[in-house]
Amino acid sequence: MSSFIEVTNLKKTFKVSKRSKGIPGMLANMVVPKFEEKQAVKNISFSIEKGEMVGFIGPNGAGKSTTIKMLSGILCPDGGEIQVAGYVPYKQRKTYVQNIGVVFGQKSQLQWDLPVIDSFELLKAIYRIPEEQYKNNFNRFVEMLDMSEFLNRPVRQLSLGQRMRADIVAALLHSPQVIFFDEPTIGVDVVGKETIRNFIRDLNKEDKVSMIFTTHDMQDIEKTCDRLIIIDKGLKVYDGALMGIREKYGTTRQLDVEFVENTVIGAIPNVEIKRLDERKVRFVFENHEVQIDELMNHLLSNYGIRDINVSEPEIESLIRKIYNGEVL
Amino acid sequence: MFDTLRLAGIYTKIIMRSWFQYRVDAVLRSLAVFLRESTGIIVIYFTLLKFDNLNGWNIYEMLFLYSLLFLTYGILIVFFTGFRDFWKMIQTGNFDRFILRPRGLLFQLIFSNADWFAAVGHGSLGVVLFIISAGKVGVVWNAVTIVYYVLAVIGGVLIQGAIFLFLATLSIYLLDTGSLKEIIYYDARKFAGYPISIFHKAVQVFMIYIAPFAFVNYFPAQFLLRKGDMALFPEVYMYLTPVVGVGLYLLAYAFWRYSIRHYKSTGN
Amino acid sequence: MLTPYYAFARKSFLSKSAYRFEHYMGIFNTVLKIFIFWEIYKALYGGRTEVDGVTMSMVTTNFVLSLCLDAVFTMNDFYLPNRIRNGSIATELLLPISFKGRMLADNMGQAAFKLIFHFIPALIVSVLIVGIKAPASFPMLVMFVVSALLGYGVLWSISFAVQMCAFWLINVWSIVTIKNVFINVLSGSMFPLWFMPEWMEGVLAFTPFSSIYFTPVQIYLGELGFAQIAQKCLIQIVWIVLIYLIGNIMWERGKRKLVVQGG
Repeated sequence: MSSFIEVTNLKKTFKVSKRSKGIPGMLANMVVPKFEEKQAVKNISFSIEKGEMVGFIGPNGAGKSTTIKMLSGILCPDGGEIQVAGYVPYKQRKTYVQNIGVVFGQKSQLQWDLPVIDSFELLKAIYRIPEEQYKNNFNRFVEMLDMSEFLNRPVRQLSLGQRMRADIVAALLHSPQVIFFDEPTIGVDVVGKETIRNFIRDLNKEDKVSMIFTTHDMQDIEKTCDRLIIIDKGLKVYDGALMGIREKYGTTRQLDVEFVENTVIGAIPNVEIKRLDERKVRFVFENHEVQIDELMNHLLSNYGIRDINVSEPEIESLIRKIYNGEVL
Repeated sequence: MFDTLRLAGIYTKIIMRSWFQYRVDAVLRSLAVFLRESTGIIVIYFTLLKFDNLNGWNIYEMLFLYSLLFLTYGILIVFFTGFRDFWKMIQTGNFDRFILRPRGLLFQLIFSNADWFAAVGHGSLGVVLFIISAGKVGVVWNAVTIVYYVLAVIGGVLIQGAIFLFLATLSIYLLDTGSLKEIIYYDARKFAGYPISIFHKAVQVFMIYIAPFAFVNYFPAQFLLRKGDMALFPEVYMYLTPVVGVGLYLLAYAFWRYSIRHYKSTGN
Repeated sequence: MLTPYYAFARKSFLSKSAYRFEHYMGIFNTVLKIFIFWEIYKALYGGRTEVDGVTMSMVTTNFVLSLCLDAVFTMNDFYLPNRIRNGSIATELLLPISFKGRMLADNMGQAAFKLIFHFIPALIVSVLIVGIKAPASFPMLVMFVVSALLGYGVLWSISFAVQMCAFWLINVWSIVTIKNVFINVLSGSMFPLWFMPEWMEGVLAFTPFSSIYFTPVQIYLGELGFAQIAQKCLIQIVWIVLIYLIGNIMWERGKRKLVVQGG
């Protein structure tokens, strides 16, 4: 049996026409069109189960939003297959979109000049949401996201965080089975981000909806997703548990040491030494090449030490390394 | 069907409420549009006070010719503002949101953009001109002429709607259609305020076969008024407005359907 | 002393040249308007040589000159309103140069650009298509230029005063549109004022509109003697001063309002 979301050998190439402005350029283009080919998605496959929550990341131009657009049916692929909840997204548009919700952090779907509630009423009519279902969802989400105080305020007067919360609810009123979040925390302050993350995590737990989440903020992923898909240059470069990244790539350790006085440190094999300031020095090494207790013994016995601190690398810096091709 | 009408109603309510957030401005805008569009009429009124007629058309006949232009535009702007401004939706990517909603694309485009205030400005001008002129141009208003008039208005709306839809669809392919729109819509409309018989042959060809505004007001007016200058054109053209309207709109619609597939396969 | 204003004018001149295609369309539209009116008046004259002592070539000259000037006299009616709307007026008032001077400099830079790259080509093409009468004499041509400059002054001061409404109304699109209706109908650019009904002439005499395009055109055609020219130009100057003073009162009040409200 195939998975809830099944993507196989997905490909998408854009013909980017070199367009020029105005009628002369336009006419020239109509006679002899100039195109450049750009492979946005080269070959991507993955499957996602019902109720799974997947972080979808990659550097700018990696093919993230192209993939999301194909999954949501805005674009149709050049090659490969997509199935979501039994539908082929780009074929049965009207029935398919009834089953999905999409949040674009950069683009609001709310009516700018009107109170939030008016936009919800409009969506209720657009999606033909039955009264009871609408009421249940509305009451529940408004409470979860603590929105009651600004429901009657025009959208243009809302803060970015409030607007984003309203936009998330707008995408969920019709009880979709799959939700795509495209940078849902962009520009939102720390508290607002936390509210949104908690909501998304709770919703995923309680309703068992599948979610795909793109973001540039690794905190979003660490706090909400169990699984991570990293794509780069149109290809999938990692697919697995979030913690797996650290096990697989996080072999670097760093030791920050504060000495009693300004000290000159002699070279140590396989250890990179970085001076942070007069008394602080950072030692960076691979944990399979250097035993940490041996290094600490060496330092303690030779120098006067005030403080010592070991740390693993941040997921974020690991992912940056993956993008840069340093660890693959 | 009922469900669709209900949604159209809700869209309309939403637009009205948005507008009335700025009440004074909304009313002033309608008035300003009304006056701006009257400019050409005031000018023709002063002109014909002195010159009596323009190639055989007196002031009331001219107003009648104008009334068709404004009446059709008033209706047009309710249904087809979304087509006129479609290029903006393409550039901002807002069109994608329509694809994500379980309703017809053209339906959403039409009803989420209806510009009721411009419609009031233009439409009321059309109605005023019609009331002033209809009784004084020698038209016998009976079943035939009334049915013809209604059909001609619908045809005229469809012709202009087809031009808008065609230009909207082009913006899927081209970055900037502003100048093209200027020529085949707004410039053509400048000519359409006058009997096309007074213009150079090239302008007439343009107005009949390229941007067919002649079928929006000149030929329908000729059916009712039978002025002598109709002799310049094939008589059958007086009857064609509804046909041209439906035909052009279907053509533009086919082009739209084809291009939406293109949009989905190329993105933007 | 004039250097900063020259810099603003120069900047506005140069920024106009960035939109080349829009620019060609602008020229095309000017010529098209002239062509439409020319065809209409050919039909209206219907072979007659003159109507009320006005010949067809005088009418043609009126349209060519006033519509080509109209292109040069484009006002940026939203220069101040835009700055009030987005709040940048507050900081711009702190600059050590006159804001009103900047408004004028910006508009003159644009006018200079349009004179060279819009007026001249549009004039040449129009003359080739519809023709134009030669100026009555060389002195009249000189006086035409002087009077046209004054006409620009009248139009600018009207725009200046209307823009001041933005201090109280924020959204001035409607008022600007209505102002343009009056200018289009009453300045002679769409309707030659010789043909105005008599009762309207009385009304016109109390408005500044006919001194924008129609006065220069009359001078160009040699319709006025020197005494009349002096009188009409004086009327233009009176209008400029009067409207500017009204605008300036609004400007001072508006500025104070801005300070009180803190932007």
